[in-house]
Amino acid sequence: MGPTDLLQLLDRVQPRRVRAIENLLRGRRTVSTLYWGQRYQLLPLLNLAKQLDRGALDAAAQQVVHQGLATWDINQERLVLTPAGLSKQRADHYFVPQTADCWPTIDLIAVRQRILLAVQVASQFSHQAGHYLPLTTDMATRQFVRHWFHQVKNDQLGPQVLTALMTSLDKLDPVVATVMTAQFTGYQQAGQTLGQLALAYQRTEWEIQLMQFEGLAQIMGDAKEPTNPFNSLLQPLWQTPVSRSAQITLNTVKQGQTLAQIAGERRVKVSTVREHLLEAAIMLPLADFPYDRLLSPAARSQFKAVVSGPVDDWQYTGLPEALQRQYEFFYFRLYAIWVGKRGALHD
Amino acid sequence: MHYMTNEALTTSLQRVFGYRKFRPGQQAALEALEAGQDSLAILPTGAGKTLIYQLYGYRHAGCTVIVSPLLSLMADQVDRMRLTGFRCSAALTSQTSYADRQTILTQLDQLQFLFLSPEMLAQPKMLAQIKQLTISLLVVDEAHCIVQWGPDFRPEYLLLGAIKEKLGNPLTLMLTATAGKATRQEIAKQLRSRPTVVTESVNRANIFLDVDRVNDEGEKKARLQTLVGQLRGPGVVYFSSKQLATDTAEWLQATAGVKAAAYHAGLSGEDRFKIQQQFMSGEIDLICATSAFGMGIDKNDIRYVIHYHLPGDLESYAQEIGRAGRDGQPSVAILLYAPGDEQLPLALGQANRPDEDEIARYYAQPTKFDDTEPTVHLLAFYRQHGISQAAVQELFVKRERERNRALAGMVAYAREDHCLRQRWLAAFDEQAPEHSEGCCSPQNQPLAIDRLGLERQTPTQENGGPVDWQTQLARLF
Repeated sequence: MGPTDLLQLLDRVQPRRVRAIENLLRGRRTVSTLYWGQRYQLLPLLNLAKQLDRGALDAAAQQVVHQGLATWDINQERLVLTPAGLSKQRADHYFVPQTADCWPTIDLIAVRQRILLAVQVASQFSHQAGHYLPLTTDMATRQFVRHWFHQVKNDQLGPQVLTALMTSLDKLDPVVATVMTAQFTGYQQAGQTLGQLALAYQRTEWEIQLMQFEGLAQIMGDAKEPTNPFNSLLQPLWQTPVSRSAQITLNTVKQGQTLAQIAGERRVKVSTVREHLLEAAIMLPLADFPYDRLLSPAARSQFKAVVSGPVDDWQYTGLPEALQRQYEFFYFRLYAIWVGKRGALHD
Repeated sequence: MHYMTNEALTTSLQRVFGYRKFRPGQQAALEALEAGQDSLAILPTGAGKTLIYQLYGYRHAGCTVIVSPLLSLMADQVDRMRLTGFRCSAALTSQTSYADRQTILTQLDQLQFLFLSPEMLAQPKMLAQIKQLTISLLVVDEAHCIVQWGPDFRPEYLLLGAIKEKLGNPLTLMLTATAGKATRQEIAKQLRSRPTVVTESVNRANIFLDVDRVNDEGEKKARLQTLVGQLRGPGVVYFSSKQLATDTAEWLQATAGVKAAAYHAGLSGEDRFKIQQQFMSGEIDLICATSAFGMGIDKNDIRYVIHYHLPGDLESYAQEIGRAGRDGQPSVAILLYAPGDEQLPLALGQANRPDEDEIARYYAQPTKFDDTEPTVHLLAFYRQHGISQAAVQELFVKRERERNRALAGMVAYAREDHCLRQRWLAAFDEQAPEHSEGCCSPQNQPLAIDRLGLERQTPTQENGGPVDWQTQLARLF
């Protein structure tokens, strides 16, 4: 990921932690990463660049600063765009995905593996080519696609897959449709690599990947239709944005149990229960989380009386000591999430 | 499943592969194995070494275990095994995901072919599981790695002899494309084996040898650009660094009118697959590669192999140029050499080698070092295997001497004034045919591409040009 890509993830007003963005991309699912991901409205990127190494954005960060496009805060942790950075961000005509809101509900990496192999298999099949090297992929994908193929195999599979893809890609920006098609491997088509596509369309590799995620999300959405040939291949890859164990914790809270009861019953620490709840609060819309149960009106007004300025600048350690004794960090963070999300509603 | 132990080898060959005749060396190696003799087969690249263990595995009950060095390529090998019809094949390496590893381990006893890295096989838990199998054949692929990499890069290679004993000394096949007498002896010694040696000449008469002497890096780059613009493809250019391979591929594509792509072990599986397929189908005419490129690539019509960096020894060089002209048609192997080029392999060789001081400090306080660091990891390996400080020191000194001697052989080739082939083959204890015009052009003679009939033809106009995505998609189905 280069400076051009990082520039798009920065803001003119809100200083952003480079490490938090990196952790988000790498899929480090800690409460802190998710919280900042939500604050920066970058949660759709969660887990989309697992292969990044730690520190992978450092070079890009240095470059945007060096080019005068962003500046560090005092601790060299957070970047904020300069006016020049903002103009460049706009002038770059960088690709903006339209489907990003639903990305956290899809296992996009798995969708990509399955679609690429399924397209190859269907393409070779419709040309009656039985002898070919399948794309390199993990065993689970291979088994799943094989199973799917035997389920849907019929004389019309080729035309069916073609129609489905045409319909989905036709709804997209033509450049996205072109990039999606060019990456496919199949009969007499090796498929283009990310690097080749980036060169051909004068985009960064990460931009090409974003285009591919856009295309995949479209195919995924259309495959909900039971007659779509990819239906059984892709349905299992819808996911809740909240991890399974956090979801269980959330459901139990909604049923009226206290945090201590849940911890006892599930044999986890109370702190783990709290982490689950924060994760759920971050990932879910306001209405889907029981704020009223967990955050009393008294607590809200006590916090409101002492905090000021942008939510991102609030510090738990800046609260009066008496309030810190009364409320643990969990409640403070929950209040910040609540306020932040309500603010977003009013924007 | 039927095992065809009593069937004639040629009948099996016909049945499995549809060929009527073996290629040179295959039958001799198989006959030795059938007679219960370990076999060391030194067969040139493209001679069909894989077929030897495929056919043996087909004829005998149990599992063929293949120890292979290049992690990222093992998955490709398994895919090719499956394509050939050997579906019960799998690979276990540090790159295998946890989920895949669990699946493979539960199906271990059903496997006909199992590929492992030496590091994986050296793990006691894994070794215990492999011990439970009936091993029909142990294959050590790219066996020269024992000598090339063993002591100072991947020491687990040095355990293979002991591992072989722990596995009850199964019948063993050692495979390599190039090994002089010393290397052969070392392989046999390390594997505690007295194999039947099957060897074919390393020489490839249809590959014209050339050394192009240049004065510096800038001149070398310009020369590469000219050559790539003049030579008929497909071709491969070898580099010592991934970054340079990548950058040069882009540069040549932009400036030399060729379709080029980089290929190295750092690519994702998907990219590797796509680039291989593009190269096979002729969409790409040039690959800029590191030594990761080659194993298992069955492209017969590669017309030129250029080395941008000096390889560390003639054995690696022979392996890599051997990828040219497998179809027997005229081809050329060009080494670009600038004075001082030997510094790079020298530095690469030393990078991983601890000096006397470091060894002493480590042995004094081993716990104080971070063993994720390659050099420390290496020393920890020796210490854990009970090798004394003095022995380790001696080992590295000896190793350095060997490396330097191998490099000196390579440099002598680069600086040779008379016959390159003679110089090359002498390293493998072979006699070269009488020198002639069609043999080679050493550094003091210019390369005449036209005389070799290897000039680039004007590229044929592709019909159409770019098509819209709808048309491209429709073509797939």
